Formats: sequence, C-alpha cells, structure tokens
Amino acid sequence: MSMLEIWLGILQGFRVTALVTLYGLVFAIPFGLIFGVAQYLTTGPARFVVTSVIEFWRSSAVIILLFVFYYALPLAGLALSAMTVSAMVLGLNIGGYASQAVRAGLQALDRGQKEAGHALGLSRATILLRIELPQALVAMSPTFINQLIQLVKATSLVSLVTLTDMTFRAKEISQIEYDPVPIYSSLLLAYFIVCYPVALFGRWVERRINPAREARRAV
Amino acid sequence: MTQTDDKPAVQITSLNKWYGAFHVLKEVNLTIPSGSRFVICGPSGSGKSTLIRCLNGLEAYQQGTVTLGTIRLGDNARETALARRQTGMVFQSFNLFPHLTVLSNCTLALRRVPSMPRKEAESLARHFLEKVRIPEQADKYPAQLSGGQQQRVAIARALCMNPRLMLFDEPTSALDPEMVKEVLDVMTGLAHDGMTMICVTHEMGFAREVADQVVFMDQGSIVEQASPSAFFATPNHPRARSFLNTLLH
Repeated sequence: MSMLEIWLGILQGFRVTALVTLYGLVFAIPFGLIFGVAQYLTTGPARFVVTSVIEFWRSSAVIILLFVFYYALPLAGLALSAMTVSAMVLGLNIGGYASQAVRAGLQALDRGQKEAGHALGLSRATILLRIELPQALVAMSPTFINQLIQLVKATSLVSLVTLTDMTFRAKEISQIEYDPVPIYSSLLLAYFIVCYPVALFGRWVERRINPAREARRAV
Repeated sequence: MTQTDDKPAVQITSLNKWYGAFHVLKEVNLTIPSGSRFVICGPSGSGKSTLIRCLNGLEAYQQGTVTLGTIRLGDNARETALARRQTGMVFQSFNLFPHLTVLSNCTLALRRVPSMPRKEAESLARHFLEKVRIPEQADKYPAQLSGGQQQRVAIARALCMNPRLMLFDEPTSALDPEMVKEVLDVMTGLAHDGMTMICVTHEMGFAREVADQVVFMDQGSIVEQASPSAFFATPNHPRARSFLNTLLH
C-alpha cells in the first residue's frame, strides 16, 4: 500500500474527527461559559452544586465516561448514539476545564471595573456582559485555543465507541497491512495538520485583540 | 429624585461601619447642601475613602442613614439604583474600561441605562470630552492616553450621566505631578459650573481655592469641619494641625 493510499484511507476518517470536534464545541462552549460564570457569581450551597457538576466532568477519565455512557446507559434504558455520547463526554470534559479559565479570568479582573460599572448605574447583568466577560475571555483566549487543540486530539478516543474517525481508519488499515510504522506516522502527521491551523488561528485571534490587551497591561 | 433647594444633596446621620472588629467609621454626621463643594482630607486610614464610597453604595454600612436628595440609600433597591445613577464617581485608579475606546467608555452607560440612541449618546459624549479638553482622543483606547488624560475621560464618563452630585476619591493621587494640574483644572471648572462636589484629596491648593467646606477626618471620625480660610489659618484640632504641618512643609 502506497503512502498516498494510506493518506487517503486516513482522510476518510477526517469527517468524523471534525464532526466530533464541532459537536463537542456545542457542548463545551455553553458549559464552560455558563458554569464558569455561575461559579464566579454564586456562593454557599449554590456554588457547591455548580462546583460539583464541574468537578464531575473535569475529574473523570474521558475514556471511562465514554464506555459508561455508550455501553452501560443502554442497560438502564437510555441508548444514545455514539456520536452524541462522544460529543457530550469530550465536550463537557473540555468545557469543565474551560469553565475554570472563565472563572479565573473573571476573578483576575481589577475590582475597580465592577465598581465603575456600578457607579455608572449599570445592572449586574450588563456589567458582566459588557465589562467583565469581554475582558476575561480575551485574557483567557490562549487557554481556550489550548483547549480546542486538546479537544481535537481527544477525539481519537471515539474510535473505541465504534466511530470511524482518523484513528479508527488507521487501525483498520494497520490490521489489513501489518505495517504500523508508516500508517501511525501518517496518523500522527494528520493530527498535526489538523491542529496546527488551530494554533495559527489562535495567534491570529491574539493579534486582532491586541489593542485591548495592551490597554489591560497599562491600567 | 426631585431635589429642591431646601433638601441637602447629601445628609449623613450617625453613620457607623465596621470591617470585622475594626470600627472604620464612627458616628459620622455630615450635611452637604446642594451646589456646595466639600473637600474631605485626613491621614491615610482615617476612613475618608470609605465614607465617600458609602455615598453611592459601593460600601455597605451597619448603622446610620445616608440620604441623597430625597432618597434614603438601602430602603428600596430601585430608588437606590436611581440615586446611584444620579451620582457620578471618579476613582483614584481611573477604572476606565480598557477594552473600549474613550468614546465607548463614555457611551456604554448612556446606551444602557437611559437606552439612548447611539448618535445622540456619541454627540453627548463628545460634548463632555470637549469639556474635559480631550475631544481628539475619542477613538483611542485608554492605554494610549496619559494618566491625566485617562482621569479626564473618567470625569467625562461620569458627567455623561448628568449627575446631580460628583464624588471624587483621591482623583489625583495616582498621577504624575505635572498631570495633577490638568485634572484639577477640569474639577475647578466643574465647581464654577455649580456642580455639587465631594472630593477626597490631599490637594490643599485645590481645597483652598474651590471648597466651601473642608472636612478633616481622623480614625474614622470627623474631627473638624470649617471653611478653608478658617481651616488653613487656625485649625482647632491638634491632629489637624500636625496633618497640615506635614502636608504644607
């Protein structure tokens, strides 16, 4: 089997890798935002509940969650598709990490920002949406890009719950060809080719938001 | 807030505040008539910043009342918010929003609180930027300005809300000496326009020139209140005397 054939074979799994990543983001972004903000704003028992949910998703091993949700839940009468389980588990796991970046970004802001908003008569919601979150999200954007790259790479686990992603295809080809070195080297390179543009995109985002970042440094 | 001339702009009665066991404000009573300029001074830790922050609800207090015009703070959340909106505040560290341009810093609250259309908000903001003498900086970000310019933007931002009362919490303490004057000039201009102002400051020249009354605080209490001429000529309280001596020499 030529290198080109190996490449084309792996490429057949690209669509699933991309889909799991995108659907994963559909879970990760709202979860990270909502739970990060909730952890920032709540106190007492409410904060305990929020933190527990975050810790469940953040501190569990993804591969075990995949098995539990895909193979065990049907026994309890709840059968989700492999794609749904994969997107949810990977997305909420990364979302758990992202929630901590959101919270830390909000907590790191100068207290004077919130006070200036209050002094102008702005509502708490407006202060959060127009003053605190824009600054916190910008400050944390390198972390979010990191987490996006981690999500892309973590999708290689979904081959364990029957999805035909790039890793699954590489395993299939390898089982037919008995020639793992070029196949897995190609797979390695394939993930790099997917992830590197994400890193470049991250750098571009950072450059674009430069004025606000410089402002942060000076104030 | 319907503010008539007989109602003082600010009425503080028996105000007490503790940080844990530390009694930071002790039985503070102060009446600030509409249209007057009060300067609050005193050594660091005397409670002057805490006092001024109580006046727009940035600090909670345990005892006493603060009445702004006809609104008693804390009685009713909606009225308290209204009183706050009619009170402008300028901070020592400017607290401009670094992710917004100078113009957007000024229009953010206008677009939200009275939901003013963008054009109208921007022209109002430009009017006040002109008033603080930096109309040409409208499209820059705060970090691109000097400290004095940033503080003038902060003043313009507060003025946009058409406040009845302006609070200044050490507005020049974070500035390089040569920038202090440009900020004080703007504040003096405001005073001449008849704005009710309460300034926590160590700028005794400003106090002498602009203030109607100087309030001296020490260890959480008001120990002396007098006209600037009386205060600077013959301070009664020994603590005020020693404070003035260290400040003027």
